[in-house]
Amino acid sequence: MSDASAPVAHQHAAPTGLLRKYVFSLDHKMIGKQYYGLALVSVFLGMILSWLMRFHLVWTNAAIPGLRLLSKNGAPGGVMTPEYYLSLLTMHGTLMVFFVLTNAPFAGFGNYFLPIQIGAEDMAFPRFNMMSFWVTFVAFLVLIASFFIPDGPPISGWTAYAPLSAVGKDAGPGLAWGQNLWAISIGLFCVGQLLGSLNFIATTLDLRTKGMTLSRLPISTWAWFITSCIGLLAFAVLLPACVLLILDRVAGTSFFIPAGLVISDHLQPHSGGSPLLWQHLFWFFGHPEVYIAIVPAMGIVSHILMASMRKPLLSVKVVYGSMIAIGFLSYMVWGHHMFLSGMNPFSALVFSFPTLIITIPATIITMIWIGSIYGANLRFHTPALFSLGFVSVFVAGGVSGFFLAQPSLDIYLHGTYFVVGHFHMVMGVAAIFGILAGTYFWFPKMSGRMMNDTLGKIHFWLTFIGVYCIFMPFHFLGFAGNVRRYSTFVDDYLQPLLPLHKFISIAAFLTGAAQLIFLYNLIYSRFKGAPAPENPWEATSLEWSTTSPPPFDNFGGRHVVVKRGPNEYGVDGAHGDFIMQDSPEPEPAAGD
Amino acid sequence: MEDSSSGKRGIGRYIPVYVLLLALSGLQVFLAYTRLDRNRLLASMLAVAIFSAALAIMYFMHMAQERRSFFWSLIPATIFVLLMMNMIWSDSFRLLHMRPF
Amino acid sequence: MSEPNQSIAMGHSAAMEPSPYAIPSRKLAMWLFILSDACTFGALLFAYGYLRTASPNWPTPFKFFPSILNVIIMTVVLITSSLTMLGAVDASKSGEKSKALRWLGVTMVLGAIFAILHIREWAGLIHEGVRLFENPWGSSLFGASFFSITGLHLLHVISGVIAMAVIARGYSRGSLTAGHVESTALYWHFVDIVWMFVVPLVYLMSIARP
Repeated sequence: MSDASAPVAHQHAAPTGLLRKYVFSLDHKMIGKQYYGLALVSVFLGMILSWLMRFHLVWTNAAIPGLRLLSKNGAPGGVMTPEYYLSLLTMHGTLMVFFVLTNAPFAGFGNYFLPIQIGAEDMAFPRFNMMSFWVTFVAFLVLIASFFIPDGPPISGWTAYAPLSAVGKDAGPGLAWGQNLWAISIGLFCVGQLLGSLNFIATTLDLRTKGMTLSRLPISTWAWFITSCIGLLAFAVLLPACVLLILDRVAGTSFFIPAGLVISDHLQPHSGGSPLLWQHLFWFFGHPEVYIAIVPAMGIVSHILMASMRKPLLSVKVVYGSMIAIGFLSYMVWGHHMFLSGMNPFSALVFSFPTLIITIPATIITMIWIGSIYGANLRFHTPALFSLGFVSVFVAGGVSGFFLAQPSLDIYLHGTYFVVGHFHMVMGVAAIFGILAGTYFWFPKMSGRMMNDTLGKIHFWLTFIGVYCIFMPFHFLGFAGNVRRYSTFVDDYLQPLLPLHKFISIAAFLTGAAQLIFLYNLIYSRFKGAPAPENPWEATSLEWSTTSPPPFDNFGGRHVVVKRGPNEYGVDGAHGDFIMQDSPEPEPAAGD
Repeated sequence: MEDSSSGKRGIGRYIPVYVLLLALSGLQVFLAYTRLDRNRLLASMLAVAIFSAALAIMYFMHMAQERRSFFWSLIPATIFVLLMMNMIWSDSFRLLHMRPF
Repeated sequence: MSEPNQSIAMGHSAAMEPSPYAIPSRKLAMWLFILSDACTFGALLFAYGYLRTASPNWPTPFKFFPSILNVIIMTVVLITSSLTMLGAVDASKSGEKSKALRWLGVTMVLGAIFAILHIREWAGLIHEGVRLFENPWGSSLFGASFFSITGLHLLHVISGVIAMAVIARGYSRGSLTAGHVESTALYWHFVDIVWMFVVPLVYLMSIARP
């Protein structure tokens, strides 16, 4: 916290001990890397889980070598049981949504670059920052621990729908201690994110360097700021929901357990609650969470697009406004996840309306991207490719949202692979593309070395084609009535769809394997990559005016004074076509 | 932010708000023992509670002395989020008879 | 503002953009925490209302004596403790350290009295047979929601008292400033505000009618 006399809120000296420097570091850059590393571990873990699931869906009776070692009960002889399939599904969803899509674009890149982009030396509360990472890390360990308890991870999905999640081991494997661990993990995760969001908001408002007015903040900083405002209030609702779930499970309450519920021929002793209440509380958090994942990615992509188009977006102010509108609207639409839940059909109509409205700001942002690209002299480096890929999958996945926003259509589609395809495209893959774009863009700054551009391009094209091959057919499967969450397809009407499933599985294996190129590139470049100059992309924001990687206090004791906005591309300056935010050069007459 | 230069010191200046808050709490108890029907009782007690909360926020938590922009950036967004939670009622009211209305 | 906060503001203006609200970061962070906590309590109270309206047999067991009378005393104690907390804030802002510490002490005592009264009330209800999963009068959710809502509030009161003890210790040693006292006061008033909603919704809506 800030002392009285210091001009900026950053006091701690550069640490020398190994523990202080790399583990319990207060430095926002190290914490950002820690978040990113956690997300990287989680994403590969989640991807392996999806491989296992895709393998089982198509080659149902084939044994997977080594799976027996992971779970004796769940995969006897290496063939997973239907319940274990659901366990893996739960863990895949939880890891990906919480520990990847929230951690990497928001907490990871946000921690690293938000203070640098505003010219600060650190976050407003470095100690809170360290705590927020370590709470998140403990949440990760608690979640992973459920793999190693006798009955395995819970089978209730990443949404943990009650009463399945609330009644205990009668309902299936993983619902004894596995579900407890899940609820504890997510509760801890909420605490970590609350601390992080609070810190982001205070930092953005209070630690801006001289000249960095709110309108001069780079667009990615705006996105992180808006995201933390959403997260501050959304995670606050999931936290009590998790507490109530834990009480239901360990203290015998029945918030989410209805009356007269018989499970496994066993009348549940506690009754009187409402399973719908869990869905309401969960999705009240859950829908803002979608935007917690996607808004930072939007910000990162806009930031990178401007640097590769060499001109500002048509209107950044409209993009800010649209992001804020998305933030507000995200609290009004959660019911569209529940059209199939037995919710009041009248309120389904009420939720459908803002759901359609929320497409407007999203469309405006997309139109601004596309309209700005039109006629631009694009530089096709890897970050730019991934940004364009983001726009592509965001549109492709977003369009199916129009279908799902109609209750009448959604009742047919919601229980099918159509929804799976939709959210994997628009939330999962789009945010992952944002993360990858950010990685290729900022890796030189974070490590001081360039990533290999050729490998990056190969990685992009394999991934881009791959995700379309995987997730587009999901929509057709959904139209054909292919139900989701089944571990095998034995019904007659599903037999004609099996070849398509086989195609998807093979595409998933190949696309997953292509990520190894990325991993190789990441590790190789970290140690052997070409040294990065200060500003390899000729970008304007403050992180590019310091060395790569930045010194401990970000600017090496230099006091940065910001002279202009962050989008000075395509101007006739003294050096190239851009002007750095802290450049002392006089403003050109034709400047935007 | 001129709270130190102007106005008298000590907790004396908070006494009126304090007394008002106690009176409002008393009013809530009084309302609870009147023969109002349940819905009116809830509405009137909530109105009193919101008024008390506003008093406490403005005067005890000194929101009245902060910049206007501070109030406008914090309070409306929170109230908006809390208001949105009201969309759950359409389900709870019908659970007893399982009809849309 | 007193000296330490003023120098923060001045330090800001030399090298940095001023805070848009002209308040220290610590105070802003406390406000943000309060807002998110308000959503936490809001969600819990909405869940309570949801379950209550969806239950056919919600009990209304609170008699004037002892429950409501006890609640009235607790309310008076808590609102008074907000007032004494303001005394501590005022005294610390004008640098009267011992006076501020005295007021903090009074506030802690009042907070502890509130907690003791509350725990005594809990003990009485538990003695009558109210549990998290059952009660003698009706829907089993009554005990569940009563204990979880008042329990979360009680947790806030107790952690507030502990926070005050920590702040008072640091403040008397000079390692913490009047700004810390002020942030703690914000938190304490928030606990008070939550109680203003808990009383009518949990207690007064559940009065036993003859």
